[in-house]
Amino acid sequence: MLDAGRHPNIDLMAYSEVESMEGESGAFEIRICRKARFVNEDQCTGCGTCAEKCPIQVSDSFNMGQGTRSAIYSWFAQGIPSTHTIDAKYCRQLNGKKCGICQKVCQADAIDFNQKDKIVNLTVGAVIVAAGYDIFDPSRIPEYRYRDQPNVITSMEFERLLSAGGPTAGHLNRPSDRTVIEEIAVLEKKAKKSEKMLGKYEEKYKMVSERFYRAFQSGEHGDEKDSVKWADKYKAYLEIKSKREALKTRAERFSTAKNLAFIQCVGSRDFRFYQFCSGYCCMHSIKEAIIAHEHEPETRSVIFGMDIRAVGKGFEEYKIRGGNHSNISYHRGRVAEIRGGPDNHPVVIYEDTISQTVKKEAFDMVILATACAPGKSLKKLASVLDAELDEFGFLKTNHLQPVDTTREGIFVCGCAQSPMDIPESVSQASSAASRAVQVLMTYRKVS
Amino acid sequence: MNKDILIIGAGIAGIQASLDLAEMGFMVHLVEQLPSIGGKMAQLDKTFPTNDCAI
Ligand SMILES: Cc1cc2nc3c(=O)[nH]c(=O)nc-3n(C[C@H](O)[C@H](O)[C@H](O)COP(=O)(O)OP(=O)(O)OC[C@H]3O[C@@H](n4cnc5c(N)ncnc54)[C@H](O)[C@@H]3O)c2cc1C
Ligand code: SF4
Ligand code: SF4
Repeated sequence: MLDAGRHPNIDLMAYSEVESMEGESGAFEIRICRKARFVNEDQCTGCGTCAEKCPIQVSDSFNMGQGTRSAIYSWFAQGIPSTHTIDAKYCRQLNGKKCGICQKVCQADAIDFNQKDKIVNLTVGAVIVAAGYDIFDPSRIPEYRYRDQPNVITSMEFERLLSAGGPTAGHLNRPSDRTVIEEIAVLEKKAKKSEKMLGKYEEKYKMVSERFYRAFQSGEHGDEKDSVKWADKYKAYLEIKSKREALKTRAERFSTAKNLAFIQCVGSRDFRFYQFCSGYCCMHSIKEAIIAHEHEPETRSVIFGMDIRAVGKGFEEYKIRGGNHSNISYHRGRVAEIRGGPDNHPVVIYEDTISQTVKKEAFDMVILATACAPGKSLKKLASVLDAELDEFGFLKTNHLQPVDTTREGIFVCGCAQSPMDIPESVSQASSAASRAVQVLMTYRKVS
Repeated sequence: MNKDILIIGAGIAGIQASLDLAEMGFMVHLVEQLPSIGGKMAQLDKTFPTNDCAI
């Protein structure tokens, strides 16, 4: 990644989109829109002071909505280019309110609220589409209760939980437990504010709130304005405290998730959604179960699938190793339903195809191996480039020319062509590059 | 003959194609819609089958 950012022959345009294309193979005229970041890429040092001070917090999409980031942010810590960006949708200053805090604290003087989108025009000999895929939205399968059950999550959300740089610093804290911890933090803050307010009355009347309240309740303070207010505030404080204590007692029983279920083919090999096999999901579920076991040796994982497709060099061995050393068991069968259970433990209902009985089991957390969905952006790209899409919405190719699109001079690689894993994406990328060179070297200039 | 090339998307596939072409001496314009490059791979903790770190 670093190499791509530094290479003298690579003109990197991040935060940009292709708007239009004319011409033909050998000489395509391209119009690119470089979206305004409101931060000067060359000046920003990536120090992050702005993000620390920005008052606006929004859901963090890099972490799949788990946790928050500021309105001024870097996509992720080691991101290239290493510049911050202001999210114009949420920034106070850019929405007509007073703020500009980031500009005040930026030592590099990188913030520019007047920056505008910039159009770049290019002529290129060939184009390679490497626009990737989308994560299938499992809420389209209502019986899996992805949105209703907090501890039913997608594989990508799980990847972020496993990551040391993720929202839980690599700990498998369950989403439902995290919500309680967050609630406790909010109540702590409220209690502190309350205490400060009560302190003012206590100082004014030289009496602790507790004594005052007892006296007030026995009618000693009448209904003077201050007394009524003080009593109300104290009552509210007691409520906050008891709520906080109840949650804290609940939180004492929390532990990280150790009993995991992985559900395969969520949206894949399913005639309601995508008939194809997404190829990489069996393997990434095994990987995630192995890593979870490395983090916490007591972890037990069950992978539910119609079959485990470990096709690739070293993959079958990887699967067997997972079973032998990482406490993974493989259950054959398709999961019919996931229901809520006590203490937010999702219950998996499945057919055991060996005993031919319907079984159910509760887990700490359930991870859905979502399909490789054709990218939404491919539709617009295909129309801009005048290349065809296939029946699913990937770029259309021919079996004997798997990286050639239907338009001459335009090639495709990676998951924009079809579902595939990283080793395959990389080898397709190299073959698309070599096909493109044939155009660049042999065509005479058109026009 | 124009020897520049446009690559759309800077996930692992777009980055690999860019590096290959840049190393061969072609000028590559790499367009990514998100603020940083890396695509989905940057979001992965480690990758199978070697469990190497993704970033
Ligand atoms: C949970 C999970 C775990 C996985 N684990 C592994 C693993 O361990 N090992 C493995 O080999 N594979 C794994 N995979 C598969 C892996 O993610 C893919 O093989 C790989 O990311 C495909 O790379 P890509 O470059 O084709 O697509 P992407 O990574 O999707 O990159 C596409 C890039 O193009 C950009 N883009 C899209 N549209 C446009 C546009 N119109 N203009 C400009 N830019 C655009 C996107 O923002 C993105 O940066 C996993 C997948 C999932 C879901
Ligand atoms: S914009 Fe300024 S404060 Fe923010 S990361 Fe860049 S240099 Fe630091
Ligand atoms: S001006 Fe916008 S980005 Fe800057 S600190 Fe204020 S809200 Fe955040």
